[in-house]
Amino acid sequence: MTAPDSTSDAMHPQLMLLMELQDLRSQHRELEKDDGAAPVEKEHFHMDPAEARAQLAEKVSELEERLDPQVRARYELIKPQRDRVVVPVINGVCYGCFVSIATATVGDQDVHQELQSCENCGSFIYVVS
Amino acid sequence: MKLRKLFTADSVELNLQSETKDEVLKELIQLLGLDDKSEAILFKTLKRRENLGSTGIGKGIAIPHCRSLVVNELRLAYGRKPEGIDFQAIDEEPVHNLFLIVAPPLEVSNQYLPVLGKIAQFAKDPDIPAKLQEIDEAAEFLDLLEERAP
Ligand SMILES: [Zn+2]
Repeated sequence: MTAPDSTSDAMHPQLMLLMELQDLRSQHRELEKDDGAAPVEKEHFHMDPAEARAQLAEKVSELEERLDPQVRARYELIKPQRDRVVVPVINGVCYGCFVSIATATVGDQDVHQELQSCENCGSFIYVVS
Repeated sequence: MKLRKLFTADSVELNLQSETKDEVLKELIQLLGLDDKSEAILFKTLKRRENLGSTGIGKGIAIPHCRSLVVNELRLAYGRKPEGIDFQAIDEEPVHNLFLIVAPPLEVSNQYLPVLGKIAQFAKDPDIPAKLQEIDEAAEFLDLLEERAP
């Protein structure tokens, strides 16, 4: 919670939305598998996995509606091909395709103010610092 | 994997200041030392998980958890609120011990769910809450994990 230019307001709103969508979809997917989160959530947290999945799916649809048409088109293109529409970039490597991406993209301080995608696999990227 | 190895003294706070559920989630997130944007996203994701049902599992324990893009390895934090906080726990009792667990979307070693289960087991052990209340410094918390969750 320091420099004014590093607040969440500075992040591209569509990137924020895509990341939220990504996290919701991860949770949904994990609750689908019998050896995934469902048994743990049921046993320790008394969650009803089916009900939780329905709630998550509803929220995903709601957030998808808020994507700009261009972003939405790209999102819909990536979605069926890949588990993840937004992938982290860690130490310059895209975790969608495991290829190093141009350091100019990664080193930019305001990297989250723009919506960027991997030049190799096309996934939206989020640079993890 | 040993739970002890997943915590550092920096990720332990024995006197949480927050008075509300949202504040306490943010205070726990801060123990992970992420940047502000990552903190904001993680907060939203944890809130969404809470909306599916409180992670306050009763007996004064809460285990907020999620997977999130903002971490690149499994991250844990522990916070204690001696006076208790309203976390909408399933038994409606105040929560004193909070364990935060955040995993990346994909992990090579798949530790997230086993660790989540292990933390829940540890925290539910009948004499653990009393022991957690007696702790004076982070190192003692780590020792307790070493001893009781080998
Ligand atoms: Zn890529």
